[in-house]
Amino acid sequence: MAQTAIEEVQRLTSTAQARARREMRTLTQERLSGYLFILPAVLLLIVFLILPILASIVLVFTDYNLLTPPKWIGLDNLSRLFSDKRMMTTYWNSLRITIGATVLNNVLGLLLAMGVNRKMPGVLRYLLRTSFFFPVLITTASMAVVWRFILTQDRGILNYLLQQIGLPPVPWLSSVRWAIPSVILYDVWKSCGYLMVLYLAGLQGVPEVLYEAAKIDGASRWQLTRYITLPLITPTAFFCIVISLIGAFQIFDNAYVLTEGGPGDASRTIAMYIYEMAFKRYEMGYASAVALSLLIVLVSLTLLQLWGSRKWVHYE
Amino acid sequence: MANMAQVMRSRFEAFRRLRFHSPWFYLGEGLIWMLLICMAIIEVAPILWMFSTSLRDPADSFKLPPDFLPTSWRWDNYLAVIRSEKINFPLFFWNSLKIALIVTGSQLLTCSLAAFAFARLRFPGRDFLFFLFLASMMVPAQVTTVPVFIIIRSLRLMDTHWALILPAMTSAFGVFLLRQFFLTLPGELIDAAKIDGASFFRIYWQIMLPLVGPGLSALGVFTFLGSWNNFYGPLLFLRSWDKLTFPLALVTLQGYMGMGNRSHVLAGIMMSIVPVLIFFLLAQRFVIRGIALTGLKG
Repeated sequence: MAQTAIEEVQRLTSTAQARARREMRTLTQERLSGYLFILPAVLLLIVFLILPILASIVLVFTDYNLLTPPKWIGLDNLSRLFSDKRMMTTYWNSLRITIGATVLNNVLGLLLAMGVNRKMPGVLRYLLRTSFFFPVLITTASMAVVWRFILTQDRGILNYLLQQIGLPPVPWLSSVRWAIPSVILYDVWKSCGYLMVLYLAGLQGVPEVLYEAAKIDGASRWQLTRYITLPLITPTAFFCIVISLIGAFQIFDNAYVLTEGGPGDASRTIAMYIYEMAFKRYEMGYASAVALSLLIVLVSLTLLQLWGSRKWVHYE
Repeated sequence: MANMAQVMRSRFEAFRRLRFHSPWFYLGEGLIWMLLICMAIIEVAPILWMFSTSLRDPADSFKLPPDFLPTSWRWDNYLAVIRSEKINFPLFFWNSLKIALIVTGSQLLTCSLAAFAFARLRFPGRDFLFFLFLASMMVPAQVTTVPVFIIIRSLRLMDTHWALILPAMTSAFGVFLLRQFFLTLPGELIDAAKIDGASFFRIYWQIMLPLVGPGLSALGVFTFLGSWNNFYGPLLFLRSWDKLTFPLALVTLQGYMGMGNRSHVLAGIMMSIVPVLIFFLLAQRFVIRGIALTGLKG
């Protein structure tokens, strides 16, 4: 009896030890596997993302044209930033494009999403959704070539249509006044479907129960929209506005192809300016300084929005 | 007859009681539909015009009023673009496809491996590393391109496809996206597999990967389209005509052919869009779900 009890205890402790040993083994194994699993991604990300970010911070203090070794010039690039009129112009252009595109994209995106979200035959919904969304997928640069044909002044389609309804033709791409509106127009045509999809996801997250309850209380459709839909999609809207702001501020492809930044610098965006400094004039140090200033601008804009969001975003 | 009218009226009454909407309601509804359909037409018109002009005699491509539907079917425009020895269209197609496929395959593998570890394995430094990648996602591309350009140049990879492939072989975004998917799977799955003595690689490969199929599809679609539509990369790294990919080639083509041969340029752009269209129709669910989940462009 005692014999069996001792045996029993022995058996139990041995398995406990064995289990502990096994667990130690799996723990080290888990760590090892963890490192092995992330190795390829981490290596690549360190070389092509983390190091470049750090390198660009170092480059700011140098004068480097790729041909001669980098020269340490201290804060010269930074002081140059503050006296750079062209940079200010391109920032101002980017800001105008950003405000125009963000407002229009978000308003249109929300309206389209609310439209597609109504009761309608499934086929119609599919057709509408596809036609709104398809432009998003087309290569920005290639489609900009098509839009050049649409917007050309003398034989462009858009001007022809404007003349049909009795309006004068507009020099879309060749005038200082209309170059930025053209870039905005193309961006909105291309991106509003993208925001529609985001808003649609937000709208479908609104619990049906709320509408039912409000309907029983006799709410009108306007009231349903005003007091249920709009407050409940504010988190989605906040997210969409942040995303589209950051995106619009970095517009490069469409302005590069559509207007080539012209006439003069009238539609040159900040991303195009960085491109020109780095890869046309090979002023790598100064280009890094401008790029980092863009990073600071974007981060502060995002923080500003985060701070402002407390006033109008409702989290449940 | 009177009976019939009565039945009709009572039915109409019943219908009205069922949904008491005033005529204004239907008018508003009709207006909204009209507006939506108008918007859809505006969104599709440029694409339709491109399609129909690409099938027109090049001499007619400047035609006004513009026709948004094909008036003739000159498929030989397409043949002319494909066969032109100057342009070498099949080569661009192959370049674009090769780069997009390599980049997509590589991202699916590296990002899913890392995402699994970040989501499900415990090791020192895990959260710090993940946070580092998350923060670096916020950095605009313009900041990294200058040093990446220097790296590619010092590796002597200028004007090769590797210059486009290497930096895109993995992405912080992909790791982040797939990690979200791995986190939704129940932890008991792993515990059970561990007890059965499966190695971590087996758990990842045989149990977890099949369950995050939707996430992989979303990332695959994003990555493929991002690579297919990439204009900035080729602009920086590619110099020779035979290395070009579609977007840069088509923009260059437009300058090179001038405004004289619109139909050919448009036929070229049309052909570069067809794969995207097919891709989208096949993977629409994943694209839209992926965007709804993350809200990021690929």
